[in-house]
Order: sequence, then C-alpha cells, then structure tokens
Amino acid sequence: MTSARRAPLVAIAVLAGPVLVGGGYSLAASLGLVGAGSSGFTVATWLELLRAGETWRSVGWTLLTAGAGTALAFAAAVTVARGAGGSLLARQLALIPLALPHVAGALAALLLLGQSGFLSRAAHAVGWIDGPAEFPAMVYDPAGIGLTLAFAWKEFPFLLLNAIAVLDSRDRTLEETARSLGADASQTWRRVTWPLLWRGMAPAVIAVFAFLVGQYEMAVLLAPSDPLPLSMLTQERAVDPDLARRGAAHALSLLALLLTMVLVVVHERVTASDAGGHA
Amino acid sequence: MRERRPAVAPAVWFVALAAVSLAPVALLVLRALARTWLYPTLSPVVADGSALAAVVSLPRLRGALVASLLLALGTGVLATAMGCAAGRALVRARGGWRRVATAAAFLPVVAPPIALGVGIQVVALRLGLGGTLGGVMLAHLIPAAGYVTLYFVGALQGEDFALEDEARTLGATRWQTTWRVTIPVLRSRLRDAFVLGALVSWGQLALTLLVGAGSIRTLPVELLSYVRAGDDRLGAAAALVLAVPPLLAMGVVGLGARRTGAVA
Repeated sequence: MTSARRAPLVAIAVLAGPVLVGGGYSLAASLGLVGAGSSGFTVATWLELLRAGETWRSVGWTLLTAGAGTALAFAAAVTVARGAGGSLLARQLALIPLALPHVAGALAALLLLGQSGFLSRAAHAVGWIDGPAEFPAMVYDPAGIGLTLAFAWKEFPFLLLNAIAVLDSRDRTLEETARSLGADASQTWRRVTWPLLWRGMAPAVIAVFAFLVGQYEMAVLLAPSDPLPLSMLTQERAVDPDLARRGAAHALSLLALLLTMVLVVVHERVTASDAGGHA
Repeated sequence: MRERRPAVAPAVWFVALAAVSLAPVALLVLRALARTWLYPTLSPVVADGSALAAVVSLPRLRGALVASLLLALGTGVLATAMGCAAGRALVRARGGWRRVATAAAFLPVVAPPIALGVGIQVVALRLGLGGTLGGVMLAHLIPAAGYVTLYFVGALQGEDFALEDEARTLGATRWQTTWRVTIPVLRSRLRDAFVLGALVSWGQLALTLLVGAGSIRTLPVELLSYVRAGDDRLGAAAALVLAVPPLLAMGVVGLGARRTGAVA
C-alpha cells in the first residue's frame, strides 16, 4: 500500500481510535466483562437502565433543552443576521460570547438569572417583587429555562456568523427573479431566501444540537437535580461509591454516543445532499 | 453579485447585540470586584483593581492558571501537528476514504466529552496516566485533534502542494521541505489551528474531571469548586482569568484574518 493510500487510514485510526477504544471499554464494562464490580457477562445493567424511568426522563429532558436552546439560538441568529449581519461591529460583538468558555458563561447566567441574581434585583428595584422567593426560578429549575437561555446565548454567535456567511454567499438572482415576477418582500423571504438560508445552515444547526446534547459545563452549574441531564447522570454514576452501579455509567455513555452518532449520520446526509444540490 | 449594505446597521441591533454580548461579561467583572453585594442592591460595593489583582494572584488560582496554560499550549501544539497531517491526508484522499476519514474526524468532535471520558478514564488509569497532566492532555487532544483536522480540511481545500513536490524533486529531504516550504506557506493557518486546539483544551471541564481524577486542578475545575462552595466572587475571578486569553486569541485570529484579507 502506498503512503498516499495509507495516510487516510492512519488519520482515521488516530482520530477515531481513542473514541472507539473508550467506547469498546464501555461496552465491555456495561456487559459486566471488565471494570469495577464486574462479575461475568450479563445484560442486567442494560435491562435495568432501559427500564428505569429516570433514564428516559433524563434523555427526554436533555433532548428538549438542547433542542430549545438550538431553536432559540437559530431564531436569534437569523433575526440579527438580517438586521445587522453585514457590519464588522456586529461580527466583533458576536465573537465575545463565542470566546467565553462555557463554564464562565454558565456562571454569568447564574449571576444574571438566579433568584438573587441581577434580574431579580432589577425586578425588586422597579417594585415588581418584594424578595428573591417571588422571582421565578430559572436556575436549577425542572423546566430548564436558565440552561436553555444559557445554551442559546453561547451558541447564538456561532450560528450568527454562519448565517452571515450563508447570506453573503447566496445567489441573489433567484430573489431578484421572484421580485420581478411580482413577489413582495415577505413572499420573497418566505419562498426564496429562507429555504436557501435553512439549507446552508442545517449542518451547523445539527452540529450545535449534537454539541448541546452532550454539554456538561453549563449543565453542571445550571441544571436541576431532577431530572438530571444525561451528561450529569452519566458523571454521577461514574463516581458512584457503589461500584456495582458504575456499569450504568458506561451504558449511559454509550447511549449518549449512540445519540450523537445518529446526529453525525443526519449531518453527513444533509451535507452530502447540500453538496449534491450545488453540483 | 453582492448587495450593497448600509454602512451603519440600525442602532437597535447594535444595542441589543452589545447588551447580549457584554452584559454577562460585565456581570462577571462586577462580581469579581465586589467585596459585598447584598440583595437587593443593584450596584455592588466595588473594591479597587488591586483587590482583583490580589484575588487573581491567590496560589490556588495561580496554580490552576499554570495547569490550564500548560494543557492548552501542549494540546494546541500536538493538535496542530496531528490535525495538519490528517487534514492534508484527507484533502489529498479520493473517493470513499475521504468521506469515511472526515466522518472519523467529526466523531471525536461531537462525541459528548463525558461519554468519551467514562471509557477513556479507565484506559488512562490502566496505562498509569490517570490523574496526571500528560493523561489529561492526551484526553483533551482527542476532541482538539478532531476540531483542528476539520479546520484543515476546510482551510486546505484547493491548496496546491506542487511547491513541496518541487522542493523534493530538487533534493530537499522531508524535514527540509517541512521546515522550509510547508510551515512558511501554512504559517497563518497553523497559528489559527493552534488557537483552536488550545481553546478546546482551555474550556474543557468534563474530561479534566474524569481523567484528572481531582488531582489536576485547572481554571474550570477551580471555578466549579468555588461556585459549589458558595464563593461566587472567587468563581467570577476565575471566570475572568478564563475569559481573557480566548478573547485575546480571537482578537489575534481576527486581526490576522483581516491582514491576510480572509475577512472584509
């Protein structure tokens, strides 16, 4: 095999290898073959996990908050890109949340949205509430409002820059043709610009959603203890003093990997169909 | 055809964007500077800048800063070397291999760090790397190499490698070609890739907690620890120390991109 042919294989092994090794170990550990508390092949861990309401509440809650955060970030990105996307200042401002690490952004959200946070103080100052307890709980709340808002705030700049790039590089002749055929501005947006924008942004939107599904840094500071996000449930099981329960951490991590693999496949299909559409 | 945009976009967008972008950072600054900030006061009792300097120079935060810097630098360098090599291989590959290899680079990027860490943690322990800086750096390298590879796959599209082939034809060794041709040609892209790789490590918490096993105390680990202990002030100070290098790095990349004409 020539070195030119070998190079992609080496790249695949180096990049995906550690994920596969970690995943392989987790599979063996979840089946009781290796690791702390292992006692020979068993599917008991999986059966217990898949039957537990806690697992599905966690998966559902994670998908909902990640989905709501992505949708909010996407809506804000498209709105701002249409309003102020072309200016350099808008791009520079958008870089600030992009540069701030997630855990620092989560603390800022805590200081802003907590029941004794800045918004609560502002509400008190204008006489809307008499104390912290009257301010709606948006942090550690079962609805995940604070976490969803923090997700949207952190991911919005990435999608904004993406929306600006798509809008800047689009072929405008379609819109001009639509206008010359009598479509008004709103019809042109709905029927021409929006489909182009969505097709251009879909891979980035899927990537953001996949990233948020596995997000830990913001969840650990803003999420409730019931239901627990999938990432925190996995971490909790991974450090459980009861060694017998640690197999569940491996099974949960595989469940999370499986979820993101599905999203990788969707991402690849969308990217491929987009490339095909442009060919 | 490019539409002419108004020179100044509507002010309302800038005010909204500035508020959304800057308010959380301003809040972190205020909290880090505030000696006390009792409910329901809106403006805290702010100490002078030397108080923040004193907080930032606490041995615990200083140690975390050094650990974070070492990890980010090491991960950045290694991820750039690996990502550049892998990206070049992918760009030059043809057919199905290229798609499989791109998907392989995408896998560590989207794999949740916590899911990645649970299996890797045990493997690292078996190899004697659990709770060590080297082990945590290798763990950070897994997603970082994926990100940097994907960056190079995009940045090297349409790149002409003929110059390197010519150097080899003229008798240059592989190392000479790398140092005299490849690195000078790719300099700005290598710098951006390094920043990207370093940033992936800089903000990483889940992999550090799992593979570092509590022994490796980075800035995100200390931030979490302060906030959990109810000390928002030190948490905010750690967050600010954490925020400055990425903001500077983004500025450097943006400046470089404008100088090279990559952005308008």
